[in-house]
Amino acid sequence: MGAYVLRRLGYGVGVALGVLFLLFVLFFTVTAPDDIARKALGEKAPQVAVEQWKANHGYDRPLWPWQDWDDNLLFDHYTKMLTFDFGLSDADDAPIMDRIQAGMGPSLSLTVPLLFLGLIVAIPISLLVAFFRETYIDRMGVFICVLAMSVSTLLYIIGAQFLIGKILRWYPISGFDADPLLLPRFLALPIIVGLMSGIGGDVRFYRTVFLEESARDFVRTARAKGAGEARIMSHHVLRNALIPILTRVVLAIPFLFTGSILLEAFFGIPGLGSITVDAIRANDFSTLRTMVFIGSLLFVLGQLATDLSYGFVDPRVRFE
Amino acid sequence: MMGLAPHMLSNLVVLALLVGLLGLSRWVRRRRIWLESAQAIWQRRRLAIVVIAAYLSIALLDSVAWVGGVPEGVADVLPNQSLSVLDRLFLDTREASYSAPFADFEWTGGEALRHPGSHVLGTDILGRDVLYLALKGARVALLIGGLTSLISIPLALLFGVTAGYFGGRFDDFVFFLISTLASMPGLLLLIALIMALGKGTFSVCLALGVTGWVGFCRLSRAETLKLRELDYVEAARALGVSEVRIIFRHVLPNLAHLIVITFVLTFSALVLSEAVLSWLGIGVDGSWGQMIDGARNELSRDPIIWWNIGAAGAALFGLILAVNSVGDAIRDVLDPRTARTSE
Amino acid sequence: MSGGHLEARRGRGAAVLAAVVCALVACSNDPYPPGDEGALVYYSSFVDPPRTLDPATAYSSRAHAVTGAVYDTLLKYHYLKRPLELIPGLVESLPEVVDLGEGRSLYRFRLREDLLFHDDPCFELGGEGRRTREIESADVAYQIARLADPEVGSPVIEPFSNVLGFMDFAEALAERRGADPEFAALRAHEQYAAIGGMAGVRTPDRYALEIELARPYPQIVYWFAMEFTTPVPWEAIEYYDGEEGRPRFADHPVGCGPFQLTVYDKQARWVLEKSENWYGVRHPEWRAPAAVYPSDGTDEQRALGLLDRAGEPLPLIDRVEVRREKESIPRFTKFLQGYYDGSGIAKESFDQVIQDGALSPDMVDKGVFLSRTIEPVVFYLGFNMDDEIVGSADGEKSRKLRQAMSLVIDGEEFLRIFTNGRGMAAQSPLPPAIYGYDADYENAYRRVDVERAKQLMVEAGYPGGLDPSTGEALRLVFSSYNTTTAGLLQYQWYTQAWRQLGIDVEIEATNYNQFQEKVRRGALQVFEFGWGADYPDPENFLFLFWSEMSRVRHGGPNETNFSNEEFDRLFVSMKTRPNGPERLAEIRRLIEIVEEEAVWIPIFHRETYALYHGWIGQSLDYGISIPTYQFRSVDPALRTEKRADWNAPITWPAWLLLFAFVAVVAPGIVTYWKERQ
Repeated sequence: MGAYVLRRLGYGVGVALGVLFLLFVLFFTVTAPDDIARKALGEKAPQVAVEQWKANHGYDRPLWPWQDWDDNLLFDHYTKMLTFDFGLSDADDAPIMDRIQAGMGPSLSLTVPLLFLGLIVAIPISLLVAFFRETYIDRMGVFICVLAMSVSTLLYIIGAQFLIGKILRWYPISGFDADPLLLPRFLALPIIVGLMSGIGGDVRFYRTVFLEESARDFVRTARAKGAGEARIMSHHVLRNALIPILTRVVLAIPFLFTGSILLEAFFGIPGLGSITVDAIRANDFSTLRTMVFIGSLLFVLGQLATDLSYGFVDPRVRFE
Repeated sequence: MMGLAPHMLSNLVVLALLVGLLGLSRWVRRRRIWLESAQAIWQRRRLAIVVIAAYLSIALLDSVAWVGGVPEGVADVLPNQSLSVLDRLFLDTREASYSAPFADFEWTGGEALRHPGSHVLGTDILGRDVLYLALKGARVALLIGGLTSLISIPLALLFGVTAGYFGGRFDDFVFFLISTLASMPGLLLLIALIMALGKGTFSVCLALGVTGWVGFCRLSRAETLKLRELDYVEAARALGVSEVRIIFRHVLPNLAHLIVITFVLTFSALVLSEAVLSWLGIGVDGSWGQMIDGARNELSRDPIIWWNIGAAGAALFGLILAVNSVGDAIRDVLDPRTARTSE
Repeated sequence: MSGGHLEARRGRGAAVLAAVVCALVACSNDPYPPGDEGALVYYSSFVDPPRTLDPATAYSSRAHAVTGAVYDTLLKYHYLKRPLELIPGLVESLPEVVDLGEGRSLYRFRLREDLLFHDDPCFELGGEGRRTREIESADVAYQIARLADPEVGSPVIEPFSNVLGFMDFAEALAERRGADPEFAALRAHEQYAAIGGMAGVRTPDRYALEIELARPYPQIVYWFAMEFTTPVPWEAIEYYDGEEGRPRFADHPVGCGPFQLTVYDKQARWVLEKSENWYGVRHPEWRAPAAVYPSDGTDEQRALGLLDRAGEPLPLIDRVEVRREKESIPRFTKFLQGYYDGSGIAKESFDQVIQDGALSPDMVDKGVFLSRTIEPVVFYLGFNMDDEIVGSADGEKSRKLRQAMSLVIDGEEFLRIFTNGRGMAAQSPLPPAIYGYDADYENAYRRVDVERAKQLMVEAGYPGGLDPSTGEALRLVFSSYNTTTAGLLQYQWYTQAWRQLGIDVEIEATNYNQFQEKVRRGALQVFEFGWGADYPDPENFLFLFWSEMSRVRHGGPNETNFSNEEFDRLFVSMKTRPNGPERLAEIRRLIEIVEEEAVWIPIFHRETYALYHGWIGQSLDYGISIPTYQFRSVDPALRTEKRADWNAPITWPAWLLLFAFVAVVAPGIVTYWKERQ
């Protein structure tokens, strides 16, 4: 078991290193340190100021380690990330860690309720639909799912803001306030939109899982023995379907932290997603690599968690 | 390409597509399994298939183009410009700016239109006929879905099948590659790739393809692992048949149903993600996503300008819904797991 | 089914119902916390946070929205007079100008006495328990030294390099820092003092400031109306270094202006509060020109109500609350709901607001009023004069091509389609409100004359747009950095216009970096750009055509790399000539040269329409990014009343939805019951 964990861990570290490399290559293929400087200083900055900015921020060194193995941007990139020395943002010299901590709250306040509400809404519906398979409810349900999935999230956002925020005036169109009394009001619209755009795919997935489980032999046996369909659904099927459902949820956990880029942008939520997009737009390399690194670490950890839980549940895996 | 004008290339591709489709239909007719599956799908989703066929024909209309044959005095046409069939149907229909569907006068300013009453879906901010723009978007959408899949599916098969079949170090390497790509935020990867490759349909398709092959790669790898253990495959190996032959004759054909399912299901996801790319400014010119992005703010006008975003949204929705529907049916019919449970 | 399950289901159902009811009842679209109803607060919004609030480096209108309120300047612009006129701010009177001969000049300023900085803990560095201190001319000298400091990296080195010893100071500082580690460890202001300060910046006594210029640059006075020369306390620079949980100076301004920044959450919200330390609040008896609402204005302004608060001490409000709004539609909608006091008009909302050239009845009913300003900004299409086809290399041929291309672009039509008619079609690079602007001037190539354009194409050697060397339509490249769909639509409009000449213009929209890269290398043909005035002098626009400012050769803002002997000669003369008929004649001739060469296709001068609610007093915009919060007035009671009026939630659709939901689910439940039987 220990060897298994170590191997997986080492693997995860390898992936994180690979991600860092890929990011470095991609970013510097399209952007030069001069561009980072200009974005930070403003359009009217003269070349002298640009050179000075680069010197102040360490970008006046070569990209690759060909000349000097320990005094180049690639080496810096790796050492800083692996020691979790995130440093200052290139765009405005603000400490990145502070901004991440400030942004985590808003992102989580949106994604966590969304995840739970998604489960609470989707699972009963798909149970219901699977229960009534082949009847009009099943067909209606699947059709509505496909319908819901076929609308672009952009259109959902535009529609919801227009209808609910403007015409019906139920909730503010956008904005954010950390005050716990006011927060629900601001989260209402993005959560509604998130639910609408996600529910189609979720229900279909859970329905498939439930259908698969309910066709299994032991379930057929239970039916033959005369157990009620409802009890079968809620006891046998649901319990066994929990594994794939939980896998899906656990795999989604890393993305809770990275936030939803579209929702945050349109609804003005100052979370990690908007930090990432802003960093891309401003060529803020130090913030961008921190976000990507953290994101990939979380992803790797999530994978590890799922693998380990399989290891516990399924003895065959342990002995590989 | 060897002095070939772009419209000639497009014409040749259309020809190749038609020939390919013909060949495919003959091949399907000969194989009983495929024939039965096709008939079952047709049974279930007649409307959706007709809709898709309609979109396809519109896209084809826009792909066949030639130079010349334009009457004198038509504005906006350059001397040696190639125009498609669709272009020619809507030649010289431009106004100055917005107008409502079937209107006789301009939306702002109230001046008389050049072609009063002839714009079924109105005109956009530059005066272009909205029906024309929506129809033109069909080709772009099908290109995005089709070309990207043409890039991502072979890529996924290449890595997935060889990883699953040969295993060992290569498998480890592929798995590593997949994990690395999967843990980078897709949007980031896309933006960087498109900026590096430059704008244009091909770059966007390439970028989407390169970032999207991971899912199917995992799937084909898992399937190949199972297939490798099959009796007749083991027998073939024992008999000394070359690995390559085994892959092409035994493994790939058994993946065919998965390829079809994946192609159809990811098609809609690709077109939808292009809409988001348009919002970020790196989408493809002329796509519905771009129309939506350009027109989304018009909804708050009073009175509302709805025909622009309505047409693009409806066209997008129609295609995606049809493809998703058919995709569902295909999966129900072809995938052995769900085929069993729908008894 | 066991009883336990049934109860569990009932329990869950009740919870859901309760949540729904709660959500319905808690309905309200008010984004502000309760309690502010009676306060003299002004509510506004911002799109993106400023990169920095350091007055030495902040150079965007976003940053100026804050720094302009928090940092006060030696000179200010009169609120109502147009063209803009300087008045004393922190100084007692306008500077005395002394000509020292040989091109050198001296400017003498005298700061008022008993001016205080805002209360701030950083002043503890100067003594236990100190919360503020008096402002001295040394604080201004300190800031000017910071402008030269390479580690600060200010972008306005160029105009200040005219100050005697400015560049020498910068070099000496860098050299000493590199050579002497002990020196480098000193505090910044100690370093500046140790190398003897700047030769051209002197402080003969506590309140006197002398600025000596090595070269003639009369426009230097305008820079003293900008935050770049505000007094900055060294304590703030040393204290706000980002260590031990303290913010950095770039995020924590310590100024002396009418407002103090009390809340600064960059991503979401910032708040300005009236400062008790500001001289206008502490010494209203001074009746300082920049601390009192002006009493002199035109009759037109009087009729508008702009002189209603004449003579009253500033600021007229206590607080400014600014929230982040990234997208334009939500921003405008909130304005309509009364949650923002002022707003621009998003293009899409234009018809709702303006009908037949005036405010719509809807808006008038709401009590909204409109304020229009033509900004000293010009948007233009430029030709790269170094390019072989469109540039001056081809001499007369390319000139005719440029003129032809200019003759088919209809500025009025552009405004009609893309800006709802807001703006003024440009005839020359100079916008209104700049000295030398001539309202009657007509640019011969800014009319639409397709026939003449086609004729010019023939003369240029491209009959019908055909390029004789390729036999096909002449192909040009249009470069831009606006990749949004909205920008693309504008470019398509241009290219469609040029199609009338038969030329094929390809649009190359890249991101800003790549665009700047192309500009620096001179790898452009046709491009779109804009320029806004820093100060109201024509030199600030015409220097864009000066060969010394060429982008490729000197890294300056002459993006077209235009180079013309006559122009250069006249420009150098016009630059330093005082206003008068001779100067006007030179300006006129300079503009004519630019017109004849068709270096630019000037498209339009932007006009901002600003909407304000009826509970806000009339206001006038400067046009250059100087905030006017101190001149705003508010009627809070009226505001509270209107907000409540306009924002009652509509709840009947919720009940309808609930009913519809039940209607759909009921048959399913019935089926289930039947099956149980």
